[in-house]
Amino acid sequence: MISRRAVLAGAPLVAPAAQIGRQKIAAICTTYFKFSHSQHIVDRFLFGYGWNGTHHMPPFDLVSIWVDQAGDTDLSRGRAKEVPSMKIYPSIAEALTLGTGKLAVDGVLLIGEHGRYDRNEKRQTKYPRYEFFKEIVKVFDASGRAVPVFNDKHLSWNWDWAKEMYDTSLRMKFPLMAGSSLPVTWRTPSVEMPVNAKVREAVCVAYGGVDSYDFHALETLQCMVERRKGGETGVKWMQAYRGENFWKAMKDGVWSRELMDSALCRSHTLKPSRPGFNNDFPAEESMRRLVRQPVAYVYEHNDGLKSSMLLFSGLVEDFNFACHVDGRKDPFSTQMYLPMPPARTSLANFFSPLTNNVEKLFLTKKSPCPLERTLLTTGLTAAGVDSLFQNEKRLETPHLARIVYPAPVDSTFWRS
Amino acid sequence: MPKRVAIVTTIYRYLSHAQHMGDRFLIGYPLHGKWHKGDMQVVSLYVDQKPEGDQSQERAKEFGFKVYPTIAETLRCGGDKLAVDAVLIIGEHGDYPKNDLGQVLYPRYEFFKECVDVFTKDGRSVPVYNDKHLSYSFDKAKWMVDQSKKLGFPMLAGSSLPVTWRLPDLELPLGCEIEDALMVGVGGSDPMDYHALEAMQCMVERRKGGESGVKSVQLVDGEAVWDDPRWSKQLLVSALSRSDSPQGLTITDARTQDLVGSGELRKIVKNPAAYFIERNDGLRTTLLMLNGAVKDYTFAAKIKGKGIASTQFFLSPVPNVTYSACLVSKIEELFLTAKAPYPVERTLIVSGALESCLQSRKTGGKKLDTPHLAVRYQGTRTAQHARG
Repeated sequence: MISRRAVLAGAPLVAPAAQIGRQKIAAICTTYFKFSHSQHIVDRFLFGYGWNGTHHMPPFDLVSIWVDQAGDTDLSRGRAKEVPSMKIYPSIAEALTLGTGKLAVDGVLLIGEHGRYDRNEKRQTKYPRYEFFKEIVKVFDASGRAVPVFNDKHLSWNWDWAKEMYDTSLRMKFPLMAGSSLPVTWRTPSVEMPVNAKVREAVCVAYGGVDSYDFHALETLQCMVERRKGGETGVKWMQAYRGENFWKAMKDGVWSRELMDSALCRSHTLKPSRPGFNNDFPAEESMRRLVRQPVAYVYEHNDGLKSSMLLFSGLVEDFNFACHVDGRKDPFSTQMYLPMPPARTSLANFFSPLTNNVEKLFLTKKSPCPLERTLLTTGLTAAGVDSLFQNEKRLETPHLARIVYPAPVDSTFWRS
Repeated sequence: MPKRVAIVTTIYRYLSHAQHMGDRFLIGYPLHGKWHKGDMQVVSLYVDQKPEGDQSQERAKEFGFKVYPTIAETLRCGGDKLAVDAVLIIGEHGDYPKNDLGQVLYPRYEFFKECVDVFTKDGRSVPVYNDKHLSYSFDKAKWMVDQSKKLGFPMLAGSSLPVTWRLPDLELPLGCEIEDALMVGVGGSDPMDYHALEAMQCMVERRKGGESGVKSVQLVDGEAVWDDPRWSKQLLVSALSRSDSPQGLTITDARTQDLVGSGELRKIVKNPAAYFIERNDGLRTTLLMLNGAVKDYTFAAKIKGKGIASTQFFLSPVPNVTYSACLVSKIEELFLTAKAPYPVERTLIVSGALESCLQSRKTGGKKLDTPHLAVRYQGTRTAQHARG
């Protein structure tokens, strides 16, 4: 069984800060261009960000950066000139050792999102998070000490590698935090799932592509349902639907129409289905017209909870959650709000709460959110992709059925 | 029986206020995670102007109501007595002249007056909602509120900003002691400064003693704004920390910025304007219109013993503009309960303060005493903005 209790057993071998004073952070990135994840996250360490009603400067020195693909649109070189305390290194090892031959930083940002990487036959982008992680761990091993690592988004597109990343952090006893901004951003309304709620069914209505925004939608679901009574019990099986099969599943009630409609009613971006109307609720035929490639991942947890992730690209452009909670007549619902540039905002400020949680990881040497959440959503993303690849076959997921963990009692989403 | 609603508007065209608010009475709107269709029926419509793209006839045909040529006929549904249970006045958008203060002369007062004439003649009155400020003129606005008191009908007015989502979901505690308050807004005058002033007003009216009225106003614009000691730099930093849309370098390369600390603010705001509004209880409040700095509406206040509280009034994206659904749910509450969910005096004082600020600007930025704005009222016990 994979559980957090195992993680907590034994004293962590995380080294104290390399030296007294401000912690040093290294950033290991695939690429660094305008609106890339690296730009959003690393910039917040370099320039600060709005937090708790002030301009907050993280109390760290981002001293080194390694960028795998620095092309014409690269901003890292300009940033290094502008912020001379951040130096560009030619390898991951050197970024972590600062050229000293030994680990010389107190925390690592691993941002393996964006950049040109091959896709496999299942259309998964082979972002080299695992490969970067291995390089980082090699330095930890050689130096006889390890420091906290934040891995942006899911652990790896490859389940076995993701599991190895998880196991490695356990074995070497360094805190590893991973995941998306969705669990930590603003919510409209600003509500938290009550701890120990009895949740019967949950739905996320979102948008975007497979092996991309599906992960965000799964994180949206998971950060909520993990708070249910008994905590997360693992996932038994997964089935994906797309195209006509999606519409048929919707008609057949594979997921709750009431929950789907409730989630849609939390959207701020419902595509009008009739000319001349700015905000109408789409009839089924309008949904079919607007959403060309609908995708659903439907899966069942060990305690019987059914979760469904619905990608409605063309109908919405936001992430909305709804679930049935025992004792409540109406669905419990909210939107995880992503102020998305450049159309609506100029700053992707959902990276502010994510960065703030990463700061907590570095300061406390403890991940503020369970790594098991992201291990599970990593596995769910891969399982959804696999099901689609295998003609939407229902797949048993014994490897995900073993992921059991309690939710953190404290909410980590942005409220103040 | 559904409540019979009359809509009296300037124009009914895609994305006009009448369309996005009026339609919600016809097809429903999202509320508390459900598609809500109130027990309301639009039975009549008056449209002052029918430019290209007019939707009034199309809507009337589809939803089974009639467009009448006069306001009186609209309220009487073609009969000889008031035949509706509520009136929605939307005097926003359309082609109307501006006065020498730069205010668009929307005929809200005139529309309202015609409604009041019907109420008076027919010996019965019904709840009225007036979109945005009551009138460009405080005297007219005051007359409107006085009529509602005199005839005893409930009245609600104002903008979506006080009722939309807030990021974070901040409500100042009723009776808190506010030491200083600052609002940041953008856009043109007079439509957008009105929104910003009303957003600020819905926050500061919650202070100890309630709203005490506006004692004086002064509108300063240009470079002089930066060095004016009356607004707090700390509050500006706090308000801007809530913005999702800093301009300048953020547009260039998406970086985060401390616009105040870096000095960038002065470079990117070409013509700042400060609306200084002093209250009868001594509170000084400021609206900074900072075109070029950001594109959203943020607020910060210093609360005695509690430090600084700040938030963004979230204007959700076009075309859904779901903030107008938040407002329509309040209008529906007015129509159903015959009680305004929040005081119309808020809108009255903001209408007057804006007019006086614009007069101050016309005089070259002189401070103007405003004894006529001694509008006193209390904020509501419960929060009225979207949070559920």
